[in-house]
Amino acid sequence: MSDDIKVDLELDLKGLLCPLPMVRVSQNITNVPVGGVIRAVATDPGAMADIPAWAQSTGNEVLSAGKEGSEFVFLVKRIK
Amino acid sequence: MDSQQITTLTGVLDKKMNRQLKQYLDICARCAICKDACHQYVATGDFTYLPARRAELIRQIYKKYFTKAGEFVPALYEARDPDENLLDELYESTYACTGCRRCMYYCPFSIDTAWILSVAKAILIAAGRGNEMLGQLADASLFKSDNFEMFRDVIVSGFKDIEAELKELTGDPSAEIPVDKQGADILYVALAGAHSILPAAAIFHEAGASWTLSMFESANYGFFLGDVEKARKIADRFMDEAVRLGVKEVVITECGHAYRVANIFHEAWSGTKHPFKVRHILEVIDEYIKDGRLKVSRCIDVPVSYHDPCQVGRNGGIFEQPRDIVRALATDFRDMTPNREQQWCCGGGGGIVAISEMDAFRLKSGKKKVEQIKATGAKIVASPCENCRLQMEGLNETEDLGVRIAAIMDLVMECMDLPGRKQAAEGA
Repeated sequence: MSDDIKVDLELDLKGLLCPLPMVRVSQNITNVPVGGVIRAVATDPGAMADIPAWAQSTGNEVLSAGKEGSEFVFLVKRIK
Repeated sequence: MDSQQITTLTGVLDKKMNRQLKQYLDICARCAICKDACHQYVATGDFTYLPARRAELIRQIYKKYFTKAGEFVPALYEARDPDENLLDELYESTYACTGCRRCMYYCPFSIDTAWILSVAKAILIAAGRGNEMLGQLADASLFKSDNFEMFRDVIVSGFKDIEAELKELTGDPSAEIPVDKQGADILYVALAGAHSILPAAAIFHEAGASWTLSMFESANYGFFLGDVEKARKIADRFMDEAVRLGVKEVVITECGHAYRVANIFHEAWSGTKHPFKVRHILEVIDEYIKDGRLKVSRCIDVPVSYHDPCQVGRNGGIFEQPRDIVRALATDFRDMTPNREQQWCCGGGGGIVAISEMDAFRLKSGKKKVEQIKATGAKIVASPCENCRLQMEGLNETEDLGVRIAAIMDLVMECMDLPGRKQAAEGA
């Protein structure tokens, strides 16, 4: 399903320790248009809770969050 | 700004007013000794970052609304309304401050500029001008705890992955990362990621400690934001957990501000007396090594230095334990000059590492730390604070220092005799 989604910005967050992956997504969300999507790849497992919590509390949307090998991949949509 | 808004902002100052704050606002002699104590002013020469100037902005409001002289002759007494220009200046000087309190150490009157700036943050928040990023990070922490069931499985699953690494590292299939363990001696409060969990788990395992891992992270962006209510709620998450589990002590990971929040502020904020003690993980590790519960070898043969995080050292009172640990691990320990209470701030505290618009300024402000690190000739700089390490890693890169910035727990783990690591090395 994620293959059908147009990604506006790729963020390589590999090697960053929590909460930095969440910080970087937050800092970059305004770099995509409303409705735009960030694809973020992190390696710190803490991001699996942090990024969805940030998205929900800021009114944005995590379209998908999953583990691919040793990486955690997120599609985050800017809602407002 | 209309009169209603001004009343709101001066009301915040009134609510925060006590004898100590009044003294700080009345007593500054403008000697400017603080200018030589502030790493930001020393590095930039910018008046915005002079500690006395930062406090002066609040002092101007105080004079206008809390002194007769300032009320009636504002121009003569440098009294001022909290207008938009003042708030702009206040925002820049306040959120740039790392809260290191080195200026207080050198001030002849011990004026606590960081205290005054905590009032400034409350005023900025009331004006709707609190830092947005820090606010988002604080809200994300609270959302996670308010909706914990939504996140429980993913958090526990992350812990299980780290537990698998622990079993491998220790060579002990029964090694575990306990959570929700009623009656454990220690509740260990880590950061959200694996990096602060695995080394502590290995250390607790080797020391045979009775411990349990908190479901919540220790990082507190409410504190950096300057919102006491949010900061208290964020800390409540693991303090309530500690009460529920009946632990004897809460041990905070290698994090500066989280230790200070837990050990110094939380009881006052919550109006409760903790039924447990609060310690920093380095106090515990030092005790384990000295008691012989944790065996380490002096495995590091390159020069190692130690940076006192402001919230652990000057503001937390922990100076000797980390040095004793490093001396137990390294043959050549080289302290920075100055050190302990007089240690220079690295420039990464107070939440500034999360504020991207301050990145260039933040790195520039690390000038004194760069000089200190270079003077030691160390190849490894250890420090028990995530923000300090992030800042020093940035300085390492931009200033080409050629050092390794390390958490102390990582160095401890490297000097432990862990069967799993030996097997991995033999297999490589």
